Amino acid sequence: MQRLFLLGLNHTTAPLEVREKLAFNPQEQQRALEAFRERFPECEALLLSTCNRAELYTARPVHGHPRVEEMIDFLADFRGVSRDSFQSYLYQKSERDVVEHLFAVASSLDSMVLGETQILGQVREAYELASTTRSTGGLLNPLFQKALAVGKEILASTPLAEGRISIASVAVTYARRIFENFSDKTVLTIGAGKMAQLVLRHFADLKPGKLLVCNRDAGKADALAGACNGISVDFARLVDHLTAADVVVTSTGSAHPIITRAMFDGILKARRYRPVFLIDIALPRDVEAGVGELQSVYLYNLDDLQQVVAETHANRQDSTVEARRIVAGHVAQFAMWHRAREMGPVIDELSQRYHSLAREELQRTLGKLPDISETERSHLEDLTRRIVNKLLHDPIKRLREADGLHQPVSQYVHALEKLFALDAPSGAALPSQASVDSERSDRKEQSPGPSTEA
Amino acid sequence: MREPSTGQLLLLGVSIALFVIGGALSLARLRVQRGWMRQGARLCLLLGLLAAAATLVWHSLSRGSWLPIEDNFDAFIWLAILLTVFVIYVGRVRPLPGLDWFIMPAVVLLLIFAGLFGKGRPHEYVESTWHWSHRVSAYGGAVAFAVAAAVGAMYLIVNRRLRSKNASPGPDLGSLERLEHLTRASVTLGFALLTIGLVTGLVRALHRSTTLGTHWFTSPKVILACAVWIVYALVLHAPINPSFRGRKAAILSIVGFLLMLGSMVAAQFMKEGTN
Repeated sequence: MQRLFLLGLNHTTAPLEVREKLAFNPQEQQRALEAFRERFPECEALLLSTCNRAELYTARPVHGHPRVEEMIDFLADFRGVSRDSFQSYLYQKSERDVVEHLFAVASSLDSMVLGETQILGQVREAYELASTTRSTGGLLNPLFQKALAVGKEILASTPLAEGRISIASVAVTYARRIFENFSDKTVLTIGAGKMAQLVLRHFADLKPGKLLVCNRDAGKADALAGACNGISVDFARLVDHLTAADVVVTSTGSAHPIITRAMFDGILKARRYRPVFLIDIALPRDVEAGVGELQSVYLYNLDDLQQVVAETHANRQDSTVEARRIVAGHVAQFAMWHRAREMGPVIDELSQRYHSLAREELQRTLGKLPDISETERSHLEDLTRRIVNKLLHDPIKRLREADGLHQPVSQYVHALEKLFALDAPSGAALPSQASVDSERSDRKEQSPGPSTEA
Repeated sequence: MREPSTGQLLLLGVSIALFVIGGALSLARLRVQRGWMRQGARLCLLLGLLAAAATLVWHSLSRGSWLPIEDNFDAFIWLAILLTVFVIYVGRVRPLPGLDWFIMPAVVLLLIFAGLFGKGRPHEYVESTWHWSHRVSAYGGAVAFAVAAAVGAMYLIVNRRLRSKNASPGPDLGSLERLEHLTRASVTLGFALLTIGLVTGLVRALHRSTTLGTHWFTSPKVILACAVWIVYALVLHAPINPSFRGRKAAILSIVGFLLMLGSMVAAQFMKEGTN
């Protein structure tokens, strides 16, 4: 029996400064999962790290590890930050709540921008990475496969994704509030990630005078520049490009800001205080917050843009009703599957164990009745089977009706396994005839009253 | 020279009412977007302009002179008409949303001033070419500075919204780039006219053709006019010192206009026959 658990933070619980402390790029995600599995080998794990959230999904044995504190310690150790710096922003969920949350995440119901499709791809990538690392197993695999299917269904079949606006389009709207004409403007992109490509494509539609692509990896810069009719430029001459640019889109994977206030002070003078629109969609941020305080600098980070998008979508809450109904249905389905998966073997084991015991006792009795006819033998066999079935009927019914994703039931099943020794190897757990007899004789000796046996 | 008649004042009142209604309809579109509101606002603007022009024509006919700025009544109405024409022109050629919200209040105020000061203190202004040039350039400069101040205010609002990163971008008031360009163009025109006004005024002062006396250079009107000139000179030197562009230029445009209003008020209330 495994327990699902989730520890994480997102845009609703943590500001950008905190989220960037727990931001993992794909390489870091892989290393983190490997380290996690090394520390907790019995536990399945998956790390979902996006601009808006960092979530660690685990499936561990009921009384196994890691516990919450161990998970927090792991994240703090791995990122090299103090646990106090993010602990208060964390949320934790278990069992059914995890399933519900993940399905909502995958279908963008938990996103800042309702109906955004990027999150589905991010969940898929996180799952594929965890699968490659072999950190997912019997519970997280089906859970994430189901989540991807649910997300896909909702985004395709509900009005959630209709008429949505993107961060890129919001960035363009704001650029239009700053600049009137783009034919004499220079748009510079630093980094060549997916988000940068998306934003750049929107800016390319404005037909700017120059479109520069600057990336440490010149090959990627060339490819993106080629796709957008831009010019690939040398990363080493970033300051020169910043001096020339009017719109800067930055989304590198750098762990530290690549544009600092001190650096931009000089750039502003060189550009004669011409207005510049900086769009920082990187996490961790590429541009120091202080740069936005400078004259003629309009700095927008991911949260600023998403806030605008979210505001625009605030009046679209009605469209989530249908999506939430679909999520609820799939959560119930998954719960049923999980119940069957977790309880089926326990119920089978319980049933087999007691039918086997009954058959054993029947054989002993039949051995003492040599003249019994076949018909009578058959009746006795039916009798014992019915007795066992009737004895087990209520507990099995209760188990089947219980929701396998609710904590009390998982503990109940665990208790059942312990009480009836169902988790022990079959041969070892079955009480041998000698031990049963011996127990009986012990009871006879210890019993203060008259024996009930004939 | 005649004071405006009651009929002319009533027509002026109709013009003011039409501008107020048009402005209210235009502002209401911030909350409710209706096609008829837009058309209604535009119609009120045109009818208000016609009413103001009719008042001007009627007044000129009644006093038997077509010289436009012979008295306060004429002068204020002319200023209002020029500003309204500017709003209509921009609206037709290259619309700047919200421009009327900032300029039309000034138009209404000018018309109210015309009604108040035009009736009470008519003046004979045109006595020489120097005087004529002085009045025309000063009033022309005032129109340009009024536009610069209005557009400067719009710049500050847009700039503030962008800097505060408001979740809602708010009503579109045009781009910072266009607003800055318009401010600079208005200030450049106004500055040229103001300079002509100052030079012609100086000539008049030196020829003792004003009642400012020998100490004309200590008159509040002259000091304020010079202050206005210096403020706008600062705005215009932004290409040399670029840190004066953008927000600072917008603030200075508003400050300059306020000083200029002070100068006009000083000119109106100074105890002099001709100024």
